[in-house]
Amino acid sequence: MRLLLTILLFISSLTAQSGILDIEWPKIDPKHQKPSTPYPTILTQNIKNTQLPVYLPSSYTHDKRMAIVADKNFYTISFFIDKATIMMAGDRTFQETIDKTDKALQEKLIQDSSIEFIENEGVMSVDFNRHGVNYTLSIECENSTKDSRCEKDTFLRNLYNRLIIVGGVQ
Amino acid sequence: MRYIVASFLILLLSSCASKKTQENTTQIEQTWKGRGFTYYPSGKLIPSNSGKGRYGDKYIYAPRIRFPLAYAPAYVNSQVYGIGGRYGARGSLCDQKNYQYPWRDNFCEKRNRKRSMPLCPTGTGHQGVDIRAKDCRDNTHYAVAVEEGVITYIGSYSIQLRGISGRTYRYLHLNARSVQVRRGQRVWRGQKIGRVSNNMGSTKTSIHLHFDIKQTIRFGNRSKRVYVPPYASLVNAYKRLLRGRP
Repeated sequence: MRLLLTILLFISSLTAQSGILDIEWPKIDPKHQKPSTPYPTILTQNIKNTQLPVYLPSSYTHDKRMAIVADKNFYTISFFIDKATIMMAGDRTFQETIDKTDKALQEKLIQDSSIEFIENEGVMSVDFNRHGVNYTLSIECENSTKDSRCEKDTFLRNLYNRLIIVGGVQ
Repeated sequence: MRYIVASFLILLLSSCASKKTQENTTQIEQTWKGRGFTYYPSGKLIPSNSGKGRYGDKYIYAPRIRFPLAYAPAYVNSQVYGIGGRYGARGSLCDQKNYQYPWRDNFCEKRNRKRSMPLCPTGTGHQGVDIRAKDCRDNTHYAVAVEEGVITYIGSYSIQLRGISGRTYRYLHLNARSVQVRRGQRVWRGQKIGRVSNNMGSTKTSIHLHFDIKQTIRFGNRSKRVYVPPYASLVNAYKRLLRGRP
């Protein structure tokens, strides 16, 4: 009976396709980690159990109007700004594992790992991986065809360049 | 005891054969004898100048999802290259021919030149697929949650649902006033989200649902969160909807 159970567990672990990614936690200077003004309670309370580095654009870390949906393995923080919505999301789960023999797709995924700012369906976004975690930063404009923040990548690139870690539990 | 041992043996055998079974169950038929539903295979883009798809990719990335519209019939086809679309034949977006089978995949359809979609042969694409509801009536047909999960984001015209699987599903162009969920709300599979419309902020698009699936793919010790082809998953979900077991 035990043997059967052991074999069953072993096989299920071999066929596991989804799970949690390992994180290489960055070394953070405590001086930089502690903000001069404490972060708003809405932020600290909602991400207190989030087990990944929580990034936010530095200009929005103290914006109390932020909306947060977070769990231990992901977070999504959004802000309504002037006729647009900014979203920052991080996720440490994976849903699919590529077979080691599928070299072509692996190479394609590696080639595609450069940072690209993409406009699609009127939403400007960028996907990136840091510390083993996958993040998305995006902006969606009310006027998707005429708002330069969604037409050109300048605005989002600026936010991307100013991302800082505001929390996360190791 | 016999019963327990037999159950374990069945589980063991099914686990060993899981790969094989998965391949079998993901075989997509080009026509489905049931309720007149027909569809072109995954990755076949029509017209051919609309892009290059992952032809023959029958893999179901999001198994067991519910179809994102509440009721059949529904039609997966291109808004841009369909009748009345920017690059399509002249005519009305509400032309009856846009509301007919067979379905056509449009995941890898040309939209921009940036390489953000490694699962498309050219590295570029549409991110998701366009789905028309039963008819062209605005603000009438409900989009529903494809999986149990939580609403993580609501923008001017897009809504994101993070399923318990960790996949993110995006619903675009729903009528903003019809939205029945709020950020942080837990939703169950099949729960109404909002009604299909032409909402794209202050500009309008055609009346349809843009639906996409994003998930993380691990390869070696690296990973990437990407848009995955939803077509085969939708064909599968739609067949279940037609059978009355969504």
